[in-house]
Amino acid sequence: MENQVTRRNFLNSMAVGAAVAVPAATYFAGPRPAHAAIKAKGNIPDKPFKTGHITFLTGPASLIGEPGRKGHLLAAEEINAEGGLLGKRKIETIIADEAAGTDANVKELRRMKLSENIDMFTGVISSGNTPALGPVAEELGVLTLFNDGCTDFLFDKAVPKPKYVFRVTNIQSADGVTSAVGAAKAWPQAKRIGSIQPDYSYGRNVHEHFTLAFQKLVPGATVVSEAWPKLGATDFTPHITKLLSDKPEVLICGLWGGDYVAFYKQALRYGLFDKMKVATTLAFGGQPHAIGKDHPEGVLAGCHANYFFTHPAKGRWPINDSFVERYYKRWNEYPSFEADGAYSALYLLKAAVEKANLLVGGWPEDDVIISLLEGMGMDVPAGYIYIRPDNHQGYKDTVIGMTKNDPKYDFPVWDPNSIITIPIRDITAPPNWPKPGTSHNESTAAANWLKTTWLT
Amino acid sequence: MDILIIQILNSIFYACILFLIATGLSLIYGVMRIVNLAHGSLYALGAYVTAWTIGTFAVGAPIWVLFLLLPAGAVAVAAVGALIEPTLLRPIYNRPEEYQLLITFALLLILEDAMHFLFGGVPLTAGAVIDSMGTMRVMDLRYPVYNLLVIAIGIAAAVFLWAFIYRTKFGVILRATSQNMRMASALGLNVKRVYVQAFALGCFMAGLGGAVVVPAQAAVLGMGIEALILAFVVVVIGGLGSLEGALIGALIVSFVRTAGIQFFPEIELAVLYLIAAVVLLVRPTGLFGRA
Repeated sequence: MENQVTRRNFLNSMAVGAAVAVPAATYFAGPRPAHAAIKAKGNIPDKPFKTGHITFLTGPASLIGEPGRKGHLLAAEEINAEGGLLGKRKIETIIADEAAGTDANVKELRRMKLSENIDMFTGVISSGNTPALGPVAEELGVLTLFNDGCTDFLFDKAVPKPKYVFRVTNIQSADGVTSAVGAAKAWPQAKRIGSIQPDYSYGRNVHEHFTLAFQKLVPGATVVSEAWPKLGATDFTPHITKLLSDKPEVLICGLWGGDYVAFYKQALRYGLFDKMKVATTLAFGGQPHAIGKDHPEGVLAGCHANYFFTHPAKGRWPINDSFVERYYKRWNEYPSFEADGAYSALYLLKAAVEKANLLVGGWPEDDVIISLLEGMGMDVPAGYIYIRPDNHQGYKDTVIGMTKNDPKYDFPVWDPNSIITIPIRDITAPPNWPKPGTSHNESTAAANWLKTTWLT
Repeated sequence: MDILIIQILNSIFYACILFLIATGLSLIYGVMRIVNLAHGSLYALGAYVTAWTIGTFAVGAPIWVLFLLLPAGAVAVAAVGALIEPTLLRPIYNRPEEYQLLITFALLLILEDAMHFLFGGVPLTAGAVIDSMGTMRVMDLRYPVYNLLVIAIGIAAAVFLWAFIYRTKFGVILRATSQNMRMASALGLNVKRVYVQAFALGCFMAGLGGAVVVPAQAAVLGMGIEALILAFVVVVIGGLGSLEGALIGALIVSFVRTAGIQFFPEIELAVLYLIAAVVLLVRPTGLFGRA
C-alpha cells in the first residue's frame, strides 16, 4: 500500500522535479534571471560567507594579479545582489597581497582561518606559492579554490590526494604544449628552436614541455639557443643579441607581465621579429591594454589559462559577451584569464552550494560541497570547465591565436581567423596517470605521458 | 663579428645605466654615510616621471619637445631628494645605522606603492623618443641609434661628475665634508646645505638613469628593486663611496653579465654574485674603496 502512487504523491514528485529543473538550467557563471531565483531548502543562517583572497596587488606581478581580485569582487557583488549564497549568506572578502612572500602568505592563510574564521580560501597567482599553501589548507581543513599558481607540482607532489584543495585554471604543462601545437601548425618547417624564459619554475616548465611536444610534432627539431633572464629583469638586449646570433627559426618566449612588455619593445628595435617566428605563452596574460599597438602582428600569443576576452567571439557564446560587458562597466578595462578564473571560481562554489542544499537542505557541510565540486562541469565565460575528481584540477580546452591590430581596440587582439582551440584531453595526462616519483621520474605526469604516448 | 660589436655596445649601454644609478648611491654614502635602500626606487621614479610626462603632454608633439621633456624625471627626482633629506634623514644622523636602514627601506616601500598608485600597474613607455632616431645597420643586424645617445650621456655624466668633484669649489667642500664633517662644520661650512645638495645630486643621477633608459625599455613596477640589487653589486665590486669604483664596477658587471648570457646562459643569475663574493674575499672594501 505504501508504494501505491496516489494522485497527490505523483503531483508532489512533479513539483520536486520542477523545482530541481528550473535552477539546473541556470547553472552558469553569471547573474541568474530574476524569474529563475531559487528557493533554498531548510533554514539558512544569514551569517556572511567569508572568503580569503590572496593575489598580487603590488610589484610587477600585479599586472596579472589585479584582474583576479577584480573578477572575484565582480562575482561576489553579483551574487550578493541576489541576496548572497542561497539567497541569505552575503559574500565578504578579506584581501591580502601575495607580494609579501611565500612565508607571509602561509601565515596570512593561517590567520585568515584561525582568527577571521574564513569559510573559503581563493586567489593565489604564483606557482611558488600554491605548493606551500596547499598542504596548509589541507591541514586547516579550509575549502580552497586556487585560481592560478598552476604548477603541475601542486597535485603531482605537494598535495597528491587533495580533499579541500581545488584549482580552477588549467595545469601549467598545458601552456608549453599549447604553444608547441600552435607553432607546429603555423610553422611546420621550423627546425631550429630558440627559447627565452624567466629563470624560475614557470620558465623551466614551459621550456621543457614546449620542446618535448614540438620535437614530437616537428621531427628533427632541436634547441639551438637558450636565454634565461632573471624574473623582473628589464634589460634584455644581450639576450636578444644572443638569440639573433644562434639564428633560430622559431622562438618560444615564456616571459610575462612587465618583463614581456620590456622584452618585446627591445626585440622590436633589434629586428628580432623579422628574423624568427615568435610563440609566447603569456603575451596575452595580463591586463590586455598593457600591450601596445606597436606589438608586431603574427606573433603566436598565448593567454596561459585559456581565456582572452575576444574569444569566444561576440554572439557565439552569450555568457562571455555579457561577462565582458559587465566587467568593463565595473572596472573600465577588459578581463584577462585571471579575471575569468577568479570569477568562475565563485560561481562554481555557488553552484555546488545550491546543489548541495537541494540534496541535504539547510547550509551544506563542506564535505557535501566538495563531493559536488568533484566532477562538476560548468559554462563559464571562457567556455566549458570541468573539475576532475582524481586531482581536483580544473580543465578547459586550451586556446591560442596570432596577434593582430583591430581598430576597435587600443591594443592588439587575436586574429579571429588564426585562433585554434585544442581539446585538453589531447595535451595532458589522463586521470590516475602515474605521478612523478612512482613509476617514472619525469618532472611532471604530463611530460611522462607526452614522452610515452605521443607518436613521432 | 656583428654579434661581437652589438654585444659590446649592449654592455657599454647597460654599464652607463648602472653607473648613473651606482654613482648616486656611492656619492650619497661617501658624503653622508647613508646607505640609501630607496635609491633604486628613485631610479624607477625617474623612469615613470619621464614616461608619464612624455605620454601626457607630448603626444604628437614635435620630436625636439620630447627630447626637452626627457630630463623631467631627473629634475623631479632631484626635487624629491631635496625634500627627503631634511625631513626624513636629517633627524636620524645621530642615531645608530639601523635607523637609516629602516627609514630608507620604509621609503622604498612607500615609493613603490606611490608609483603604483600614481601611474597604475600597467607599464609606461616613451617609444616615440627612440623611434624618432631610428636604427642603424651593423652588418646583418640592427642597433637603435638612441642607445648611442644614452652611452654619450653616460660618458658626459661621468666626466661632469669628475670635474664637479675634483675641479670646483663645491667639490672641495663636498670632499672636505665627506672626510671630516665636524671639522668642515667648525671651519664655517654650512654642512646642512652641503648634505641637501649632495643628496639631491645623487638622486638626480638616479633619476637621469631612469629618464634615459625608459625610451629604450619601459617603466615597470619592481624595476627599482632590480636596479638596487645590481647597483649594490656594482658598489661592492668597485668600493662604496668611490666615483672610479662605480665606473669600473659598472663596466665589470655589465661586460661579465653579457659574456655570461652569450656563452653560458644557464649561469646568468649566479655569475654577478660570484664576482662580488670573490672581490669581497680578496678586497673587502672593493677595488677602489677606502678602509
